Amino acid sequence: MKSQLRPWVSWGLMASLLLAILSGLIISYPFREEIPLVSTAGLEGVIPFGALFRSFHYYTAQIAFLLLVWHTVEAILTRGYERRRFFYWVFLAGAYPLFVLILFTGYIIRGDETGLSAGRIAENLTYTLPYLGNLLNRLCFSVSEDGVHRAYLSHLFFSFGLLLVLSLWHFRLRRIKLEDLALWAVLALTLALIWPPSLEPPRYTLHIKGPWFFLGIQELLRYLPPFWAGIFIPLLPVTALIFFPKAPRTCLLGLVVWHLFYFIFLGRGLLR
Amino acid sequence: MKRIVLLLGCLLLVLAIIKEIRRTRAPQVPVTTSGRVEMCLFCHQEKPAKVHAREVVGCSPCHLGNPLHLDKKLAHRGMVKNPADLRVAERTCGAPACHPEIPARVHKSLMATNRGIITTLRLYWGEISDEKEAFAENDVKALLEKKEASSLALDYYRKLCGSCHLWFEKGKYPGFLGEKGGGCVACHLVPGPREAKHPRLTRKIPLKNCVRCHNRSGRLGLTYQGLYEDEGYGTPYLEGDFGEPFLADGRFVREIPPDVHFKAGLVCVDCHLAEETMGDGRAYTHFEESVEVECTSCHGGDGTTRKGRHIKGVQREGKQLIFVTRMQGKKLPLKPPNPVKCRHSVHQRLSCQACHAPRVPQCFGCHVRKDPREKQLDKLSGRETPGTWEEFRSYQRIDTPTLGVKGEKIVILAPG
Repeated sequence: MKSQLRPWVSWGLMASLLLAILSGLIISYPFREEIPLVSTAGLEGVIPFGALFRSFHYYTAQIAFLLLVWHTVEAILTRGYERRRFFYWVFLAGAYPLFVLILFTGYIIRGDETGLSAGRIAENLTYTLPYLGNLLNRLCFSVSEDGVHRAYLSHLFFSFGLLLVLSLWHFRLRRIKLEDLALWAVLALTLALIWPPSLEPPRYTLHIKGPWFFLGIQELLRYLPPFWAGIFIPLLPVTALIFFPKAPRTCLLGLVVWHLFYFIFLGRGLLR
Repeated sequence: MKRIVLLLGCLLLVLAIIKEIRRTRAPQVPVTTSGRVEMCLFCHQEKPAKVHAREVVGCSPCHLGNPLHLDKKLAHRGMVKNPADLRVAERTCGAPACHPEIPARVHKSLMATNRGIITTLRLYWGEISDEKEAFAENDVKALLEKKEASSLALDYYRKLCGSCHLWFEKGKYPGFLGEKGGGCVACHLVPGPREAKHPRLTRKIPLKNCVRCHNRSGRLGLTYQGLYEDEGYGTPYLEGDFGEPFLADGRFVREIPPDVHFKAGLVCVDCHLAEETMGDGRAYTHFEESVEVECTSCHGGDGTTRKGRHIKGVQREGKQLIFVTRMQGKKLPLKPPNPVKCRHSVHQRLSCQACHAPRVPQCFGCHVRKDPREKQLDKLSGRETPGTWEEFRSYQRIDTPTLGVKGEKIVILAPG
């Protein structure tokens, strides 16, 4: 095993995140949060290049998330946590819920059936969190009262927050190379041209599929109370990741078991 | 590497630009009056009737598909041509905001199950010994799941009767068969004006829609409107053509005096309630269990059926009960039964039809033959399977019906 992290993964993560935020800025211009679905449909069918930028935004963000996972796996395998202070490691672990929240709110604000239904589920899940539930909901979702307003704000704030922290501190303002940006842009553009992300119209059906990473939680909600399925179980891997430097073997075992368990449910959710 | 990536990037950009230039774009996002996005309205100019107006309903609540895309392929994914087909009706016509209680009822109705026809056929042919035997199997929906018949009676049903039920796919076959079936639209569809480019849905169901199926056995739909299925061959020929009118399936008919209700402008749905035609939620075996309207519901009654439901056409005007026809809104006086003839004690057991149906078509000597050498279309599976059924009769007459006793009543008996 190599002792160092592969730089192209880290720079890919940074470049993809930057591209996602830049394309997000472009599509935020015609976006009106009071009519989210009309805006999204307008991006798809009215605004020139709107659909392309929306697809590009979607894939750059997804790629950034997947590269974050890769980055973490590499850090675990190369024992990167031993060379960093515990605080840095906590920051990496903390980036997960933040990134998932950014992706999740991205689904909500498109205002289609998948997004709004996922938003309502998330809203109800946050209420099960003792003490902080109401505050968290007001901060991030509140879909039933404010539509996509809160989700839109938290999507913007957290995205910029993450970029700011990463670029100012973690990457120490080093300039991203043009070829890094180009490489990840090409990948996202290819995906955007081949598989443009869909929009789900309202359907009178009892079965709604949320964002792909949320399907495992949706499936778990069939068998467990909301707090356990939606709060406790998703927090387990973050906790395991935070305390990884303290007890690597136990946490690694926990993470592997959790992911096996979660992907079984996710797969079942996908097949429904 | 750097060069390859940049080259690939440029190529993709050109591709993306070409794709964008070729993309169909609307000047604005079309929305319904409730603010729902319906991109379909940009391309489709069809205008259904007011009750399903395009500006209010849009296209996708009925025809499904994806109304959020302008791209034809994406927008038409999962679309249905006939939203009223019973296979999808729960998601379309039966959506929560529309007619949610109807599809489940229709699924159990005799027009959807054909349980009466199937059960009687199997019972007479000795395949079942009791009406309640194979209750779930004797249903079109169950038969549709099988590719071919498991018995002679079922083979006969699938080939000769299998087009007169609500599961039958509208437009699947050419000719008059293509006009039959279609779920809700088997009854509720009427042609729209040419410029609307969309048929209309109506609750004023014309006689023609009912008679598309109800024209055999008792020939009720024909006799009612003054037509008799003639045994002739269209003779005498006139001006080089058949001298007699004929039905869509080629049977010749002759004009006879129509029913008095037909002359007054009544159609089937004036008397027959939605609960009779679309089902009341119960699964019946026989037609007579489902039918609830009686002659005396209007004539001498206050418009209440034997199951306690009210016939909408029967209304009170002052002190008098009248009947308002559904098609033209004509107000008709309701004649009570003759106090002397009908109420006389010696006529107590007579059904109304025993006296008031002077002519009934009667088909004698009905028999069928199966030719195993030929193939015939199985209307349920849509495949040609071995064995062709042919129907024969000795003779047919329109005459005063034979009377017989059924339970406590004297009724007319008509071989069909």
